[in-house]
Amino acid sequence: MEAARVLSYRRVLPRLVAELRDALDTCAERQRQLEQSLRVSRRLLRAWEPAETPTPEPTPGPETNEEAPSPACTPSPQDLKELELLTQALQKAVHVRKGVSKAGERDKASSLKSGSIATSATTAAAPHGASPTKPPRGTRQATRPAKGLPKPRLLSAGDQTCAGRGPLAAKPGPGLRDPQIAPSAAPQAPEAFTLKEKGTLLQLPVAFRKAASQNSCLWAQLSSTQTSDSMDATTSSKTQFLQKMQVTSGWPSSRLSAAEVEAEVGRLQKACSLLRLRMEEELTRDPTDWMQEYRGLLTLEGLQAIVGQCLHRLRELQAEVVEQQLGPWPEERPPMASLPCGGGADPTWSPQLLLYSSTQELQTLAALRLRVDMLDQQIHLEKVLMAELLPLVSMQEPLGAPQLALCRAVHSLLCEGGQRFLTILRDEPAD
Amino acid sequence: MGRRRRRADLADAAGALPEAIAALSRSLPAGPSPEIFRRAKFDRPEAAPALWRLLFRVLSLLRADRASASRAPEAQARWVKAALRAQGYPRLGLARLPEDGSQGSRELLLALAWLLAREPLPERLLAQTRVRLGDEMPVCECGALASPGQPAPRVDAAGPVDVRHLQWLMGKLRFRWRNLMASQQEQCALLGKIHAYTRGCHGDRSLGHLSVAETELLRDPEGGRQVRAGACGGRDLFLSAKIAILPVCGGPLPPLGHPGAGMQTRSCCLVMGTPERPALWFALQLLQRLESENARLEAVLEWRRRELVFWQWMDTVLGACPPEASQPTFPPGLRGRGRRAGAWGPVAWELQALQEELQAAVGARRAAWAARVGGQGPEWSAARQAAQEAVGQELAALRQAWARGGGGGRAQPHGPHRLVRTEAGGPGGPGLRAAEVIGALRSREACLEETLRQLQEQCRQQLARLAGALPGLIWIPPPRR
Repeated sequence: MEAARVLSYRRVLPRLVAELRDALDTCAERQRQLEQSLRVSRRLLRAWEPAETPTPEPTPGPETNEEAPSPACTPSPQDLKELELLTQALQKAVHVRKGVSKAGERDKASSLKSGSIATSATTAAAPHGASPTKPPRGTRQATRPAKGLPKPRLLSAGDQTCAGRGPLAAKPGPGLRDPQIAPSAAPQAPEAFTLKEKGTLLQLPVAFRKAASQNSCLWAQLSSTQTSDSMDATTSSKTQFLQKMQVTSGWPSSRLSAAEVEAEVGRLQKACSLLRLRMEEELTRDPTDWMQEYRGLLTLEGLQAIVGQCLHRLRELQAEVVEQQLGPWPEERPPMASLPCGGGADPTWSPQLLLYSSTQELQTLAALRLRVDMLDQQIHLEKVLMAELLPLVSMQEPLGAPQLALCRAVHSLLCEGGQRFLTILRDEPAD
Repeated sequence: MGRRRRRADLADAAGALPEAIAALSRSLPAGPSPEIFRRAKFDRPEAAPALWRLLFRVLSLLRADRASASRAPEAQARWVKAALRAQGYPRLGLARLPEDGSQGSRELLLALAWLLAREPLPERLLAQTRVRLGDEMPVCECGALASPGQPAPRVDAAGPVDVRHLQWLMGKLRFRWRNLMASQQEQCALLGKIHAYTRGCHGDRSLGHLSVAETELLRDPEGGRQVRAGACGGRDLFLSAKIAILPVCGGPLPPLGHPGAGMQTRSCCLVMGTPERPALWFALQLLQRLESENARLEAVLEWRRRELVFWQWMDTVLGACPPEASQPTFPPGLRGRGRRAGAWGPVAWELQALQEELQAAVGARRAAWAARVGGQGPEWSAARQAAQEAVGQELAALRQAWARGGGGGRAQPHGPHRLVRTEAGGPGGPGLRAAEVIGALRSREACLEETLRQLQEQCRQQLARLAGALPGLIWIPPPRR
């Protein structure tokens, strides 16, 4: 019924709808990411099946140009280098891997034929076309106790001449610390690995561990160099450089940059909310004795003074910014994207941990985080709603049913978060 | 002897500078060669495009501005100018440079040095794109969800807006939040399990268990087909693995800021063999990313050791430039484009509203107090003094709450933290305790709820006032919870 339709305040309401849509989009995006993470986590908690080699599909777009599916292509040097790196990484990974699912390999080895696997240049010269399954299994069995490198050999045996990229059959069985059942008693079905039962047996590949520890070591070194004394000469030369830049430039130095201005406006916004909270707290307090009453009065006066100062500062900033807009600088003002958290004033590069002790605690923590974000958003939307809807309601003069319906809807949106409605009764004189 | 020493020193110095610049260039993304720097000192035009690209890359990473990723070089140059200006870059020479990249390399070199001098730039950039191996959760409010910039109002062509449409949108939003919360709880439960099941597996004792990324690494090291990073310029990083951060909360998190990588999403998430995306060389990606980050870290450390000679050199570069003519100051009457006035609206309006309310409240209380006070003895003035001091201190503490980097700023933890499950009751290692964060969040929640309640109350009063003006109607508010 068009009765509830709002008069067309094009200038005003599109902003409200845009804000709501933004909020919806942000929520949807977050949901999408969460679901992706959920997929991964769920998969991890199920039995770990050996990954299937997807049949090589025609890859769309630029990949087809680069992959050169013809069997006789020679890999470019860059490709070879990458593949060597890959092989090395996999070699290291396989060091700690004692495959549990031998039979799984049997299946996978046969599917190697269909998959196109590229390895180092040496293997390209010796294509092993026929029955790749037998030799790899044999070598694997033979070298099993030695924790050998069946993997690359498996690859070299199993590859085709096609040097295009292709899926590699994932070896079933993650890096296990303890040797598993003898390969001779290979069951038909692979023994599925579940995190629950054997999770504590996992071990990260050596190369990875080395890289990770070196990584944290380097970051720690970074933090220590920040505070060393030998920095003084450098710091002073940097300061001098900056000063010289300022002095030789044509722009007066007393100005605040746009970034600083925005930061300060943000602080003033925060100040406003905190001051308001304090004021409300004070106003709802019932003083019991004259001392409290006096303190309340002083507090309110103090708050008033601070608010005055804030307003004054805001006006100063406004004036500055307007003046800054003149000059040869381009008009385009890049919007201040929400700054990534640089770690505050004193960034610490060291790893930061958050320790929790139970799933319950983690859930509480996460739920609270979401709740805080949601409240933030609700407050923002409430302010936008107030700015846009209140003027509408006050302007409506005639009291027909449509306007009342509008009032009712607006009341619900503004005061009850759109969840509850009030009732309006016509007080008919009883004639 | 002295002369030989000096020559050796000179030779040393002559070698030190290129090495320093090389280290710097290795530590930055898209770092140009030392030759470019040398040419820039002499303002050679061929050095300009590389420096424009570098500045663009660095600044867009700093601002986490993904939208500008795919601009044309001219647009990039304009963006760089605007971004530098917003940071307060003082030299006008930059503004006057042509945007086609044909000249101005010395000016660009000065701009780069300016950025480097102000803050630890390579470290900051590295920290943003840091490889995160754990399950991360942010503990600060930075980059919060509802950061109300001024969203460019997408003016929908439709005219009048039905208020029922608004109601519908609000309901939809509520529903989405509920879904989000439910998914979130499930994710936490799963995480808890994974952490518990992999206890004792991690080499690092302080961590104790594996994260999802690490477990995934073990489950499926080869992933699947490799996705070429052909879309990005250069093969320095295999970027398609958005492995940087696994959002426990579903964001907000610092984005993997690689403009030009063609990534669509803002936050990063674990992408692994899902049917709708090409699978990735997971292990290779992670390992390579770690190794390239290590290489860059080493470059940064080397740069920090050697940078003094760079600054001495920059001094000479600056000296070679003629000083700029100072900008004539415009008379204050010229108001210029008040485009920014829009951003101030809400803040100014709120402060003014607050001021009016305070004025009314203070007036009333003063009057009441004046009527009360009378004939108080000497103990009164002492008590008065004490009260004034107490209130003064309280208000000062309040100011700290929003002041620059205030009391809380430094002490407060920032950024994403890696979740680590520990045994309850154990002392635990270094790190933030979940209980503390929960406490802080609860108080923040209470604060926000109170603010929201106050806003709604304000609306209620205003609407009641309007309703009061309409005779012949009874307004029955819904039952309060």
